[in-house]
Amino acid sequence: MEDKLLPVGVVAKLLGISIDTLRRWDSSGRLPSIRSGPRGHRYYRQSDINQYLQEIDTIAQNWTQTPFPLKPSEDMYCETRDIFQARLEIFESKLSRITPIETVSLITAIVGEIGNNSFDHNLGNWPDIPGIYFSYTIRNKEIVLADRGQGILKTLKRVRTELTNSSEAMRVAFTETVSGRYPEARGNGLKFVRSIIVQNPFSLYFQTGNAELYLKQGDNGLNIQEAKTSISGCLAKISFEEIV
Amino acid sequence: MIVQIKKFGTTLVSRPSGKEAWLAFQPVLNQIHTTEEVIVDFEGVMVLTPSWADEFLTPLRGKFNKRIKLDNIDNPSVKATLAILDK
Repeated sequence: MEDKLLPVGVVAKLLGISIDTLRRWDSSGRLPSIRSGPRGHRYYRQSDINQYLQEIDTIAQNWTQTPFPLKPSEDMYCETRDIFQARLEIFESKLSRITPIETVSLITAIVGEIGNNSFDHNLGNWPDIPGIYFSYTIRNKEIVLADRGQGILKTLKRVRTELTNSSEAMRVAFTETVSGRYPEARGNGLKFVRSIIVQNPFSLYFQTGNAELYLKQGDNGLNIQEAKTSISGCLAKISFEEIV
Repeated sequence: MIVQIKKFGTTLVSRPSGKEAWLAFQPVLNQIHTTEEVIVDFEGVMVLTPSWADEFLTPLRGKFNKRIKLDNIDNPSVKATLAILDK
């Protein structure tokens, strides 16, 4: 089947980025266009765009696994919390154009909570690259967040010395009110995320160290398993459908 | 006294911004009469998380206890946050 060609404006909308950004990506070779028509307008192959849309979680996964990391590309990297807040508000605004306020409010809240958790628990202690990876495709209704922080086990072990592996630590983080920031008597973040995911048409994949969790609407327990490859820090993928 | 939460922002997600809101608001809170009711109004708030609320709402409740009344809590993330804090 012949590959459909998409005009630049359509692609910008699909990817949720500006036409200027697409031009830059074209010049840098990151997402090349093809020229067509008498005026040489830019077009994109549907297959290239599909591939790009699938890539955001692969990029995050690679970044959390590699022993020799670089900073992620600027449009996906939030070195500080202020940058994350600014990008989160842009995300919220884009989301509000395609989905009802109920979905916007809850999805932005869990993305905000997971992203800020990374900063809360690693401030001053980043092992190598500070900050988080934050990317999304509005069309695919998918959001990916990742950090190369210390991971939940190391953070919680300070207050729960009996913890021996990432699976146990993840279970505690998703079920109990406990904070690795002793003496702060808090730590509701991931329980909040869980309560929203199981009550709405959303799903979450979460990995820390070698423990991974799949969570979706209606789940009662926590399905924590051992991951094939261990990562530094945490990786979260959120998918959502609209709340009817 | 009415505390309009939207005056601190409409996407309220991080601990530092909750803490900053709490500190910045102290002079106003210190002027509240000892018997006065404190109405916390969430009208206009789009996104709230437990991280922000833990730094602002939790100490506010600690300070004014039963004199606190929450208003306009229909936003889904406001509801979900209050449910987690109340557990």
